[in-house]
Amino acid sequence: MEKSPVLSVKNLKTYFYTEDGIVKAVDGVDFDVYQGETLGIVGESGCGKSVTALSILRILDEKGRIVEGQVLLDAVDLTKIDEQEMRKIRGKDIAIIFQEPMVALNPVFTVGEQIVEAIMLHQKVDEKAARVMAIDLLRKVGIPEPEKRIDQYPHELSGGMRQRAMIAMALSCKPKVLIADEPTTALDVTIQAQIMELMKELQREYGMAIMLITHDLGLIAENADRVVVMYAGKVVEYADVKTLFNDPKHPYTWGLLHAIPRLDIEQTRLYNIPGVVPDPLHFPAGCKFHPRCEFKEERCTREEPELINVGENHTVRCFFWQKVDEAKMRKVGEFM
Amino acid sequence: MLTYVVRRLLLLPLILFGLSLIVFGMIQSLGPDRLLAAYVNPGVLDKLTPVQLEKIKQKYGLNDPMMIRYIKWLKNTLQGDLGWSLVGKQPVKDAILNRLPWTVELALYSIVPVVFVGVWLGVIAAVNRDKFLDHFVRIFAVVGWSFPDFVFGLIVLMVFYSILGWFPPGNLSLWADQVIKSPEFRRFTSIVTIDALLNGRFDVFVDALRHLVAPILTLSWLWWAYLLRITRSSMLEVLTKEYIRTARAKGLAERVVINKHARRNAMIPVVTVGGGMVIQLFAGTVIVEMVFNRTGMGSFTATAATQLDYASIMASTLFYSLILVIGNLVIDILYAVVDPRVRLG
Amino acid sequence: MRVETKRMLRRLLRNPSAVLGFSLLIFFTLVAIFAPLICPPQSYDPYMIPIVTWDKTPQPPSEGHPFGIIDGRDIFYGVIWGTRTAFKVGLTVTLTSTLVGLVIGSIAGYFGGWFDEVLMRITDVFLSIPYILAAIVMTAFLGMGLDKVMISLIIFGWMGTARLIRANILQAREEQYVLAAKALGVSDFLVITKHILPNTIFPVLIQATMRIGSLVITAAALSFLGLGAPVGYADWGALLNFARNWLLGASGEALKYWYAIAYPGTAMVLFVLAWNLVGDALRDAFDPRLRG
Repeated sequence: MEKSPVLSVKNLKTYFYTEDGIVKAVDGVDFDVYQGETLGIVGESGCGKSVTALSILRILDEKGRIVEGQVLLDAVDLTKIDEQEMRKIRGKDIAIIFQEPMVALNPVFTVGEQIVEAIMLHQKVDEKAARVMAIDLLRKVGIPEPEKRIDQYPHELSGGMRQRAMIAMALSCKPKVLIADEPTTALDVTIQAQIMELMKELQREYGMAIMLITHDLGLIAENADRVVVMYAGKVVEYADVKTLFNDPKHPYTWGLLHAIPRLDIEQTRLYNIPGVVPDPLHFPAGCKFHPRCEFKEERCTREEPELINVGENHTVRCFFWQKVDEAKMRKVGEFM
Repeated sequence: MLTYVVRRLLLLPLILFGLSLIVFGMIQSLGPDRLLAAYVNPGVLDKLTPVQLEKIKQKYGLNDPMMIRYIKWLKNTLQGDLGWSLVGKQPVKDAILNRLPWTVELALYSIVPVVFVGVWLGVIAAVNRDKFLDHFVRIFAVVGWSFPDFVFGLIVLMVFYSILGWFPPGNLSLWADQVIKSPEFRRFTSIVTIDALLNGRFDVFVDALRHLVAPILTLSWLWWAYLLRITRSSMLEVLTKEYIRTARAKGLAERVVINKHARRNAMIPVVTVGGGMVIQLFAGTVIVEMVFNRTGMGSFTATAATQLDYASIMASTLFYSLILVIGNLVIDILYAVVDPRVRLG
Repeated sequence: MRVETKRMLRRLLRNPSAVLGFSLLIFFTLVAIFAPLICPPQSYDPYMIPIVTWDKTPQPPSEGHPFGIIDGRDIFYGVIWGTRTAFKVGLTVTLTSTLVGLVIGSIAGYFGGWFDEVLMRITDVFLSIPYILAAIVMTAFLGMGLDKVMISLIIFGWMGTARLIRANILQAREEQYVLAAKALGVSDFLVITKHILPNTIFPVLIQATMRIGSLVITAAALSFLGLGAPVGYADWGALLNFARNWLLGASGEALKYWYAIAYPGTAMVLFVLAWNLVGDALRDAFDPRLRG
C-alpha cells in the first residue's frame, strides 16, 4: 500500500557539543512512520534511538543540536518551524511516553492535575470538562476507580498504573504519532504484556502511528510492523518485521538475533556479540561495527558503507551482507 | 496530614522538658553562692544578714538536692519568676517582655528580603546556568557569604548613618520614643510598627521603619546569599529530572515549565533550609542589635553574657530554645505541606 | 591515583577564583609567619597590641602607624598579628572539631543500630542550636578568654563532619572491599582506619575548609561582642569592637574613622573569602558534578 507516511525522518543528524568533544549521537538517520502502524526502533543503549525521539520533538538538552536533516510531519518540516509552533505540536500531534513513569511524572502534582494540564493546553475546554475527560481517559487505559485515582499522587500508584496514567496523558489530545521510549523496560513482565496490549488496542481505536523504541527484540517481534535497527547513530538495517527476523542481512542484526537464547535447540553456550558499543567520542574508522563483526574484511576498516536496497522495502548498511545470507544457509542446514 | 501535625505537637512538651533539664543543669553548675546574684538584686544582697541569706537560699532551694531544686526552679519559672536581671535592672520577666517585641519585629521583617531576593536570584542563576548572569549572581553570593555580618553592619552604619544620615541606629528617635511611652498610645501587639499604624500615628511608623532599614539590610545580608545557593543548586538538580522533560514534551511554554513544575519541586529543600534559616535570623539579631545599638533580646543576651548576668542568660537561653523547637516544628509542617510524599509517612 | 590528582590540579589551576583563593591564602600565611619581623613585639605577650599613645581618640594613618590608631593602640600591629590569631583559632578549632566529628560519625556509621540512633539524635539536637547563641552561652559559663571561645566552638562544630562521614561510611560499608577485609578477619578499627576512611576523607576535607571561614567569623563576632579575647588583644573582631563604639558616638563625622573599620574589616573579609574560594575550588576539582 502506497500511502504517504505520517512522520518522515530524512537524514537526521543530531550532535552534542560537550566539553570533551562533539558527540555525533544521530548521524544520518532515515525512516518513515505510517498511520495505524508501529515502527520499531531497536538497538543497544547509546545507539542514538532515544536521541532520535527527542530530536523529533525538539526537546534536546542544551548541548544538543539538530545540525542537518528534516523531520516531516504531514509535509511540515519540524526542524524549521519556530518554538511557538513546535509547542502546539508537542503533546498534541506527537506525544511521547518515557521509560520510568515514577520519575517522568511530577511528584508534587496529582495525576489528575497533570492530565488536565495537558488537556487544557491544547483543547478549548474548561477545567471541569477537562477533569471529566481525564477520568474517562483513566478508565480507558484500564485504571480501576478512576474517580479516586485521579486525585492521587504518582507515588500512590503502582508501576503499571503509573505507566497507564502516562499513556492516558499522552493520548489526551489524540496524537497522530505516539513515541514510546522503552515503555515497559521498568515494569514487571506480566505488566509489560498488559501495557503493550493496551497500546495496541488504543492504536486500533485512534488509528495512530506508534514509534516503539526498545532494546528488547521480543517486544519488537510481537508489536512492530516495520523495524529500524540502529547502531552508533546510524541506521544499519530497515525492513518489515517478518523479513527482519527471518531474513536479516546485517551482521549486527544477525548477532542480536543470535543472542536471544532459545529453548527449542540445543545450545552449549549463549551467544554474545563480542566487544562493546564504541565510545561516541572515539568512533572507529570505516564501518562503525567492524571491530565486533565476524564477517569483516579489510575494506570495512577503511570505508563506511552506505544504505543499499537488498529487497522489497529492505535496506542494509553493509558491504558483505551476502555473507550473512550464506551463514544463515549453513545454520539452517545444521538443524536439518 | 492532621495526624502528622498532631503527633509533632505532642512531642513539643517532651522536647521542652528535655531542654529545661539541660538549661537547669547548666545553672546548677555554678554553685549556690554565685546563684544568689541571679535571684536577688545585688544592691539588696549586700545588706542582708546571713539569716536572711539562708532564707533566700531556702526559697530558691539552693541547698536542696538536685531533684527538689529542679522542681522548685520549674515551679518558679512557670509562675513567671525568672529571677533578677542585672542588665535590665528589673525582674527578668519584665526585661524580656520589654525587649521581645523589638526582636520579633526585626527578625520577621527580615524574612521578607531574604526569601524573595534569595529565591528569586537563585532561580535566575539556575536557569541562566554558566552564563554571565549566573556568574555574577554567584560571585555576589560568595562575597556576601564571606562578609561577616558585623563588618557589613558597621559599613552600613558608617555609610547610611554617619555619611548620609538616613538610617540612624537605635530603635526610635527620642520624640517617637516618648510618644509610645505616653498613655494615649495603646499597645495592641507590642510591636511598634503595627501598633503605630493601629494608633493612627503614621509618623511613628515611618520613624520606626527608618531605624529598621539598616538592621534588616544587615541581618538579611548573610542569609539571602545562603538561600540563593541552596535555591540554585536545588533548581539545577530539579531541571535535570525526567518530569521536566515530560512537561516540555507536553508542549508547555518554558516559563510554565520553570515556574510551575520545576520551582515547586526545587522549593522542597529550600523550605527546610529556610526554616532553619529563620532560627538563624533570630540568632543573628544578637550581633545586629549590638551593632546598631538597638534594644531587644539579642543585645540583651550579648550584654548579659559579657556582664555575667546569669539569670538573664538563662532566661534568654530558654527563649531561644523555645524559638528553636517551635521553628523546627514549623519546618516539619511546612515540609509536609510542600512535599506530598512525606504526608503519609 | 596519580592521574586523578594531576587532572584535579589542572582543573584547580584553570579556575580563576581558585587561583585567587589560593593566592590570598598564601599571602595571609606569609603575613602570619613573618609577623614578628613585620611588627616586632613590644611586651612579653606578642599578641597584646602595644599602646602607643594615651589619647583614646582614634588617630588616622600616619608615619609609623600606617593603619591608624584606635583606643591608643596601633591598628597595623593588630591586623598583622590578628592574622596569626585567625589562623590559630581557625585551624585549631577546625582540626579538633573535625576529629571529634570523625570519631562520632565513624562509630555511628560503622556500628549502626542503637549507637547510630542515639548519636544521630544527639547530633540533631546540637545541630539545631544556632552557633553563635551556643557559643555565647558556653562562654558565659566557661568564662572569658580566647581559649574558652575555642572550646565552645569545638563543642558545637563537629556535627557537620559527623554526619558527612557517617553517610560515607554507610555507603562504603556495603562495598566489596570492606566485606572482603572483614571476611579476612581484619579488626573493625583497622577496617575503618585503613580501608574506609582514606576513601571518604576528601569530602570531609572540603567541608572542613569551607567551615573555617564561618568559624573565623563567629570567633570574631564573639570578640566583637566582648566575649573572647581580652581588651587589647590582636584580634580583628576585637579591633572592630573599638570601631563600633566610636562610630556610634560620631554621627555625621564617622567617615573620619573609616580606617578603624576598613583595615581590620578588609583583612577579615579577604581571609574568609580565601577559605571559601579554596573550599569551592576543591569541591569543583574533586567532582565537577557537585558544582551545580
